[in-house]
Amino acid sequence: MKIMSIALIVLWMSVGIYAQDVDKAPNFMLENIDGDLVELNDYLGESPILLSFWATWCKPCHEEMVQLNRIYEEYESEGFVMLAISTDNEKSIAKVKPFIKSKGYSFEVLYDTNQEVSRKYYAQMVPYTVIIDKSGEIVYSHMGYKKGDEKKIEELVINIL
Amino acid sequence: MKKTSKTVISILVLSFLLVSGNLKIYGQSIELPNGLGISNQLEYAYDSQKDLEILENWLNLDYRNGIFSTGFRLDVFQPNDPNPSISRGKNRFADIAYKYVQADIGNKREGLQIRVGNYYALFGRGMLLKSYEDRSLRVDNNLMGVKLLANYSDFQLTALAGMPENADAERKDLIHAVDLEYRGIKKVKLGASVVSNLPQTEANARTTLASLRTATSLWNFDFYGEYGIKKNNQIEETVFGGNESIVGNAFYGNLNFYYGPFSLTSEYKYYDNFALMSNDGTVIYNTPPAVRKDYQYILLNRHPSPLDQNNEQGFQLEASLNLSEDTYFSANYSETKTLNSGSYYQRIMSSNVIPRMQFKEFYVQGFHAWSKDVKTIVGFGYNEELSTNTKNITPILENRFYLDDMNTLKVILEHQQTTNNFSGEKKFDDVLVLEYLRSPKLSISFVTEMETTEPEEGRLVRKFWTFIQLGYQLGEHTDLSFLVGSRQAGNICIGGVCRYEPEFNGVELKMVTRLF
Repeated sequence: MKIMSIALIVLWMSVGIYAQDVDKAPNFMLENIDGDLVELNDYLGESPILLSFWATWCKPCHEEMVQLNRIYEEYESEGFVMLAISTDNEKSIAKVKPFIKSKGYSFEVLYDTNQEVSRKYYAQMVPYTVIIDKSGEIVYSHMGYKKGDEKKIEELVINIL
Repeated sequence: MKKTSKTVISILVLSFLLVSGNLKIYGQSIELPNGLGISNQLEYAYDSQKDLEILENWLNLDYRNGIFSTGFRLDVFQPNDPNPSISRGKNRFADIAYKYVQADIGNKREGLQIRVGNYYALFGRGMLLKSYEDRSLRVDNNLMGVKLLANYSDFQLTALAGMPENADAERKDLIHAVDLEYRGIKKVKLGASVVSNLPQTEANARTTLASLRTATSLWNFDFYGEYGIKKNNQIEETVFGGNESIVGNAFYGNLNFYYGPFSLTSEYKYYDNFALMSNDGTVIYNTPPAVRKDYQYILLNRHPSPLDQNNEQGFQLEASLNLSEDTYFSANYSETKTLNSGSYYQRIMSSNVIPRMQFKEFYVQGFHAWSKDVKTIVGFGYNEELSTNTKNITPILENRFYLDDMNTLKVILEHQQTTNNFSGEKKFDDVLVLEYLRSPKLSISFVTEMETTEPEEGRLVRKFWTFIQLGYQLGEHTDLSFLVGSRQAGNICIGGVCRYEPEFNGVELKMVTRLF
């Protein structure tokens, strides 16, 4: 039993350390807060895309969103696309649009109410950030938010613009 | 080593070899073949007081190639969590609990998706059907069968047939469901759903739920409304003598208003005998909006009120005002009552009870940034709940200090006074959280809780729980969390669905790895 636990831990630690992101981003289609359908493929290949998985009840998500909005406003004119994917379930989905409207955020906000897209991107917790480059490859994924994380995101966005 | 362990290890090693056999090595980096994704979540806990060990591991492997995709999830629990709702009576468990093959024909806007195997599904806001996985709650009511999703013009059709797993890990019910959504009218969305459950026993009749829903937007208002009915021939005959054609109904409504920095969310619910359950009563297939608030603070989640799809009515109001990016407020009020004596639920249960307040809650919160380096959140919660006959008063104070561009210190103080309405007995809980965060990889938390009771006048009894938690990101793909110490018992609740976590004293390791 103990040998198995240790083997599992070591196996996943080493895989996690030495692997790198290069896969093509899985396509999806979700409804935005205005009721329109948005498909990832509409943007793929044209511009770098940041996917931000978040929820209204998540405090670090609010902290991160202020920073992501700043980055979005700065680089939107250069083609940078941000899709904020709300993982709020049926209990809190009603609060998503009022939250976004009252904050005045202008990036695209999508509903992933039953976590279909979250599962595709292995978003086991929020906030979770994924960056896709112009060729459609996933070049960055990060779980959680600590002040300072936005620096790396901004550097990466500048590099792939 | 027992046979099960050998099998599990073999599968894990095989899957790893399968993956690594296709890996390309670039210096120290490993690149997965295109289309392959892997995710692994491992949780190990050892409780030194109970001498109890739990190992849980979920391995997901997904592969996409052209229009086809396939994947599986291998669950390994050895030894299993002793909680019967999780262990399902098994000490050890290893199985491919989720597997699928999917084809996407055409494109997303006009095309067909066919999925065979295990899947999840949600209609509307879950009033009729919600099949989902929430690992933190250990809920997984996936269906096994066929699911079709078709998009054409302004229509979206979902049709499925599948068997969910009950508490004994057996698939004995058969669910058929259809959902049609139309979005051809500007700012208006219409939907209709039918879900039926046919138990594989002759003693129980088919239960069918049907609903109509609409969602509209006008100026700064949004509305969502859904009305549903329930049918069951057996109940119609035995309880209502064939005089009534429905045996339950439900309504959920949501109206939002936003204007500049102000927003208001209002929700109303009425759920009368509307649970869609497995034949043995252990699995619920629908989860309508609970109309309760979700929290991330420890003590505010200590007294949850689980959703009852059969017997509740109530509302929730939430207002927020953003004075600036540095200052904002929000306030929330909600009530949940049981139904009146004329309800389907009470008539079926042959009871005659007047409506009682089940749960009442008020929460207000303010945020202010004193400078770019110091931020404060002040919260105050009050709630009353019928199930434990208590009222709880909870003030919260959170301060964030941004030491520089990379380092953050968080100090959170929570206090809760719980009064038993019946006996008048009081209980006090205090929580202190000190958290140091260093971007992008490190976090260290110190959490201590003190519970004070007064079993006899003048005699105070205090209990303490303290743990330290270390979080670290290994490489770019693995997040590690290590906890040592003791933790008070409590509920984890998401969307009105709760899981009780017993008191813990020991070490806990959690590791999440994701690879694309």
